[in-house]
Amino acid sequence: MTIREKGYTHWDGQLRERRFPWAPITWLGIRLSFKKKYFKFMLFGSLVPAVVFLVGIYISERIEDFQYMFRGNKQILEVNPAYFKTYLSSDFLLFMMVMILVVSGAGLIADDLKHNSLQLYFARPLKKSGYLTGKASVIVFFLLLLTLVPGLVFIIFKLLFAGDFRFLASYPWLPLSVIGYSLFVTGFFCSYALLFSSLSKNRRYVSILIFAVYLFSDILFGFFYENYRKPAFALLSLKANLQQVAAWFFRLKPAYAVPWYWSLFILLAFGIAAAIVLSKKVRGVEVVK
Amino acid sequence: MIAEISDLQFSYGRIKALDGISLNLAEGAVGLLGPNGAGKSTLLRILLGFLAPQHGQGRVLGFDIRQEQPRIRRYVGYMPEDDCLIPGMDAVTFTAYFGELSGMPRQEAMKRAHDVLFYVGLGESRYRLLETYSAGMKQRLKLAQAIVHDPKLLFLDEPTSNLDPQGRKEILELIQDISSKKDIQVLISSHILPDIESVCSEVVILNKGRLAAQGKLSELRELHYRLYEIKIKGEGEGFAAKIKTLGCRVEETEDKILKVYVPAEMDIREIFRVAEEENSQVRHFVRSRTSLEDLFARAVGVD
Repeated sequence: MTIREKGYTHWDGQLRERRFPWAPITWLGIRLSFKKKYFKFMLFGSLVPAVVFLVGIYISERIEDFQYMFRGNKQILEVNPAYFKTYLSSDFLLFMMVMILVVSGAGLIADDLKHNSLQLYFARPLKKSGYLTGKASVIVFFLLLLTLVPGLVFIIFKLLFAGDFRFLASYPWLPLSVIGYSLFVTGFFCSYALLFSSLSKNRRYVSILIFAVYLFSDILFGFFYENYRKPAFALLSLKANLQQVAAWFFRLKPAYAVPWYWSLFILLAFGIAAAIVLSKKVRGVEVVK
Repeated sequence: MIAEISDLQFSYGRIKALDGISLNLAEGAVGLLGPNGAGKSTLLRILLGFLAPQHGQGRVLGFDIRQEQPRIRRYVGYMPEDDCLIPGMDAVTFTAYFGELSGMPRQEAMKRAHDVLFYVGLGESRYRLLETYSAGMKQRLKLAQAIVHDPKLLFLDEPTSNLDPQGRKEILELIQDISSKKDIQVLISSHILPDIESVCSEVVILNKGRLAAQGKLSELRELHYRLYEIKIKGEGEGFAAKIKTLGCRVEETEDKILKVYVPAEMDIREIFRVAEEENSQVRHFVRSRTSLEDLFARAVGVD
């Protein structure tokens, strides 16, 4: 007798309250990202700089063996906070992070809006905060994979290659800087991607928005800076603002002569605005039309 | 009792969506009826815990609709009216995913997803991408995700919309099967009155945010009025006009049969007295079973 002929049968298990009710959303989001075309290639491509910097750390500890490569430019491979800052706020890494948002972040909310699936989520014991946390955690997973994980791996391997703790004794705050900046940049990009993803039902438009706003802000900065030579125009660029804040996290002088906290303020204001828009766009009352 | 609500009020700005509704929904299958703007969706939103009422109290499955919304949703299955899916997924993953979100362990959710997909008739196509599903298959999938966690209460919003007659029949059979289980209550909101009539034993009719009628279909048919089909030889207009003055509602069908809704308290002999006065000969006089459509029209005050 088939299940259908048997009629409806009860499930004999017990529904339980999850500690993290949003966790299935995150795992599904990660799995679906890996199913996308070129995503794996892009993710592994984004990790190439990490491998290069790791090799740099190894070479810095065996600098005598590689002297023929540098001819006096040893400072390039001096592993210090600037080395970490260079990796974590490099143009390439930031660009690849935006590309990951384009591919895996654009559809997170937009697809649910397009296919009316918000109502299915909110018919479950899931709050709006849980839904957004689940979606944001997909981005958090990939971005921390590119920032926090390599940052901590660099410190561990530096200590392993050096065979002592002198590096950590010189910069005891460095692990906190790596963690702090990684979380900051990840948090910013989360709000950035989710904001745009909630603004349209069309994933393509969202992808274009995510990419174009990042790029356009930098072009705008380049245009004004080239014409007027005022460093304050750096505040127009998302990339420059992230780099200014990165300099503060790693106790370095910012690249532009603008107080770092202005950049921090702009990025935080963006995040707060995104949170407000998200709370209005993702609403329970839209569940039943 | 599935749900008890008292003096429920809700407004969208100045527009009153629900105006002092008090209800006790009994166990079994209950139909929720009403014209557009009657407040059905708002009532569903409140029962599901999406909206907090501005006034009034209520409990669904014993849980407070103001304080215990997540607990209500844990034990409720919801099949929305609109098509809804997650692109890039197959039916098994989709169904198991919503089982997990309801609180099922992952392995159990996956196992149960296979079972309910076979149950709703999607067993063979459970690994196909959802984007390739037909309208009927999507409807079945919505039912599958609503029952995957074995809810105690099932809200079905227009479950047979967009279906061909065969698909509609099959979905209704499934709903009947589910609602025949004594421990699953079903609340169906639908515009297709015959569907409600075939599945539900009880109906709630809303009109302009107020409760227009509620109760068991059989009792509602009996209590409010009796329906007779009458055929008159000769001029029927005077006869119809006169019995209207007695409080009856009269409709004339295309084949000249008068459908007369007689108030419960009226003596049926009055009709013959009027016929005699009007010199009309009653050729056909049959007590008819009132349809839900009749009941609905009468409750909301439309023909």
